[in-house]
Amino acid sequence: MTTVKRGRGLAPRILGAATAALALLAVAACSSGGSDKAASGGDVTIEFAQWWEPELPTGEFRGLMDKFEAENPGIKVKLVSGPYASTKEQLFAGAASGTMPDVVGLDGAWVNDFAKQGVISDLSELMKQNNYDESQLASQIKVDDKTYMIPVVNFVYPMFSNDSLLAKAGVKAPPTTRTEFADAAKKVSALGGDTSGWILPLSLETPNGVQNDVMSWVWASGGSMLKDGKPDLTNEAVTSATNFVADLYKDKAVAPGAFTMKEQDKVEQFTNGRVGMMIDSLAHINLIKQNNPELKFSISAIPAEDGFTGKRGIPYASWGIGISENSEHKDAAFKLVSYLMSEKTNGDLATMAKAFPGNSSSVPDFVKDDELFKKAFDIYKAGYPANEFTGLPVAEDLMRQFGEQLQAALDGKQSVPDALKKAQDSWMGSF
Amino acid sequence: MSLTTTPERRSIVTGVAPERRRRRNARTAVESYAFLSPTLILLFVLMIVPIVMVIGYSFQDNVILKKSSHFVGLSNYVEILGNGDFWRATANTVVFCAASVVAHLVLGLGFSMMLNSNLIGGLSRTIFRALYVLPWLFTVAVIAVLWRMLLDPNGVINYLLHTKTEWLASPQLALGTVIFINIWAGYPFFMVSLLAGLQGIPADLHEAAAIDGAGPLQRFWNVTVPQLRPIIVSLVLLDFIWTSQQFALIWMTTGGGPINVTEMLSTFTYKLAFAKYDFSMASTSAVLVLLMSMVLAVFYVRHQNKKD
Amino acid sequence: MTAPSAARRTAAKSWLIVGLIIGAVFAAGPVLWMLSSSFKSNAEIFELPPRLITDSFSFDAYVKIFTSAQTMRFFLNSYVVAGAVTLLTLVVAIQAAYAFSRFDFRGKKILNVLIVSVQAVPPITLLIPYFGLVVGLKLYNTYPGLILTYMVFTLPYAIIMLTGYFNTLPKELDEAVRVDGAGSMTALWRILVPISIPGIVSIGIYTFMIAWNEYLFALTLTKSIDMRTVPIGIQLLMGQHSYEWNQIMAMSVLGSIPVLVLFLFFQRYFISGLTAGSVKS
Repeated sequence: MTTVKRGRGLAPRILGAATAALALLAVAACSSGGSDKAASGGDVTIEFAQWWEPELPTGEFRGLMDKFEAENPGIKVKLVSGPYASTKEQLFAGAASGTMPDVVGLDGAWVNDFAKQGVISDLSELMKQNNYDESQLASQIKVDDKTYMIPVVNFVYPMFSNDSLLAKAGVKAPPTTRTEFADAAKKVSALGGDTSGWILPLSLETPNGVQNDVMSWVWASGGSMLKDGKPDLTNEAVTSATNFVADLYKDKAVAPGAFTMKEQDKVEQFTNGRVGMMIDSLAHINLIKQNNPELKFSISAIPAEDGFTGKRGIPYASWGIGISENSEHKDAAFKLVSYLMSEKTNGDLATMAKAFPGNSSSVPDFVKDDELFKKAFDIYKAGYPANEFTGLPVAEDLMRQFGEQLQAALDGKQSVPDALKKAQDSWMGSF
Repeated sequence: MSLTTTPERRSIVTGVAPERRRRRNARTAVESYAFLSPTLILLFVLMIVPIVMVIGYSFQDNVILKKSSHFVGLSNYVEILGNGDFWRATANTVVFCAASVVAHLVLGLGFSMMLNSNLIGGLSRTIFRALYVLPWLFTVAVIAVLWRMLLDPNGVINYLLHTKTEWLASPQLALGTVIFINIWAGYPFFMVSLLAGLQGIPADLHEAAAIDGAGPLQRFWNVTVPQLRPIIVSLVLLDFIWTSQQFALIWMTTGGGPINVTEMLSTFTYKLAFAKYDFSMASTSAVLVLLMSMVLAVFYVRHQNKKD
Repeated sequence: MTAPSAARRTAAKSWLIVGLIIGAVFAAGPVLWMLSSSFKSNAEIFELPPRLITDSFSFDAYVKIFTSAQTMRFFLNSYVVAGAVTLLTLVVAIQAAYAFSRFDFRGKKILNVLIVSVQAVPPITLLIPYFGLVVGLKLYNTYPGLILTYMVFTLPYAIIMLTGYFNTLPKELDEAVRVDGAGSMTALWRILVPISIPGIVSIGIYTFMIAWNEYLFALTLTKSIDMRTVPIGIQLLMGQHSYEWNQIMAMSVLGSIPVLVLFLFFQRYFISGLTAGSVKS
């Protein structure tokens, strides 16, 4: 009966271990961190949910918060940092269960939906109540004429060119018109090997490629994808831009893997010298320099239609800020918002993030020090920030719907006019 | 005297006189529920309650955050069942699950037998077992990132194969590629469970069969597989249900694309919830998935009871 | 008879080793690439032609992880939660599986179907109602909140698998002990459990892994950075603008070591003969 002997040792041991685990749990539960104990002595603690802290140099964002706390005794700021990819769901879940933090980092693509659901506060009201000088804000994102999000810093998307690759292909300078661009892209791709002229991230997971790499061609020539605030995808501007992209794809001037490529992949391919030109965020300038110091690249405006002489739209994505509707400390929250938008702090944050400030007078330091950033800033000032998706309902899903139709067209399953028509119908359904 | 587990023997053992059976039944009911009580309490509070809420949402409109939710009966179900995308996602999911589960079983069984063999020494066996269990150890996000890196048109695998195939970005290859990644990530589940199961097979069964002149293949089919049957059935059922839930792997590799070739019920439901902010429809889709799995579950339970 | 069968044995052994090596390349090749990437700089990870070891081989990624108190806290949290979940799940599931395997009672079939199918609800739809429930029960941002949540995921699996394992053990075993007057608990813990050690170990390892690798609910049910777990730590490295590729790989490698160690320690129970002989009366 050896089994019984073995059993005697084991079962009590398991039960003992389970009891120990429960005891541990009990202790841990009492001492588990992060409960929202009210700050002592009348202090107000506001929570700020964002994805910015991990992306900035260690400790610097917290440093800004500490300065705020010093200037505003009685208010403490608790940073709730989460991964960017999950921010939207977390905010939603938080709103649904009443645990949404007071101040929230927002992306322009979500504003309409959150505003319509009553999740975020009307900032126009708050600004009026606090006699806030709105002229210092470079832009505000409105829904139904009320501001719901203020862009804190803007990441613009100019064109990056790999000068050495272009030279090798016989292209002397970054192209300024669409014809020049198509020509340059084809020449670079013809170099063979792993090189491609252009790179197009059309992943349906994060479909911002539709915004930054496709629609940007429309806006760069002063065109629009909307008419009176409603979708207008079958117009001249969008049709010509989409045909332009489709032709490039057909001529194999685009890097392989486009249908599942994300922005992060695009940068890596360019950094490794395999791509001639790309439309990309300013935020990557330092990244590219760090990862590949040998790479010679330059910044220029996105090419426009031949003969276009008007102001060029330049796409941008922002780190936006809003205040939760259910916040119990809206005044303290607004103080934090105005602090982040104040000239000095906004400039500091823009410098940290390598982005352009949301305060109309701030000038980030790097513009004075760095050639490339200065060029980008000039392009920014010469043109106008263009992102027609901000403030649209289900903006991210609109991008995805367009992306699906575009992929079908590029894959040869339908013609470009059909794709645009289907996308138009699909968009109208969401409006 | 060694015991076998043939059905006839078991029924002889468990057959008891009717009188004692009635008294036994009353006692066993109370006892059974006593054994089950922690499970039932936990599952009821934390599982059944949210599920009931989700079912409730599927019959309403404008749920979660919109101010005015009202009862709409079955209209959500009608709408979703009439949606071609839903059926496409279902078809993809069935293909994905079936292919994955079959491959998991074959690989898992094969590997577990190889890793159970006495032909190699203890140390080599341990090392190989450690190597074979590796895919299991990583969180899905990492597996997705890793395979995207490996399968990049400019990545290692294409380099070794001297090609520029777009594994994940090609509408023709994407589904197969995603299935392959899932097979890699999931076979250790079968392998380890079957390895454990192989230990429970009495050695004398194999010996008896060998003495009767059965070769290794015959021993496999007539001794090993029948002994492992209950475990295999459980594994297949569980894996099918879990694979149908697989979201992060697909979302982070292809996002349901290119176009919609890797759209699964999980990504379809996610998009309803967090891209279109339509929780009523998302809940409806969830309930439909639940119903489909319940069908599987019923077959499984019937099969379990038939054996007894 | 010995000479031909010895030759056959050697042939079989060679085939086995060939097969094992091919399988090992399939299984471990990608992980080898992950390991190699963790020692590269971010730029080199995407270079062409790819190399296993690059010029700037360094432990930087690992150093960054070990010197971050925040990251170390992620590991601590994951250990506590996964460990507690495993122990509690095993205890509760063993009890429940015994009932399903050995008894016949009213509602057994329905309960069985329910337990199996509750796993089928897409977690993403369950997220918001579940979150509301957890907040209501005051379990938000606590260890017990995560532990109980994971138990809900792991119990159905553990019960189904343990029932399967118990079903392979003949009922004569418990009957034998009952004849001596012992009750069900004794039959369970002193007879069935010791024989089922391999099964229990494999279930325990998998339960640990489910709890260790889970992301969505860990993210939603925790708020402060000192309660977050390893999968969240890994996702935090995937920024909006760029990924810290080498740190992601390094953290995954580090994250896999506890489970690997557990497996290596317990796999010694997966040796034929340890329990098979005990079936004899």
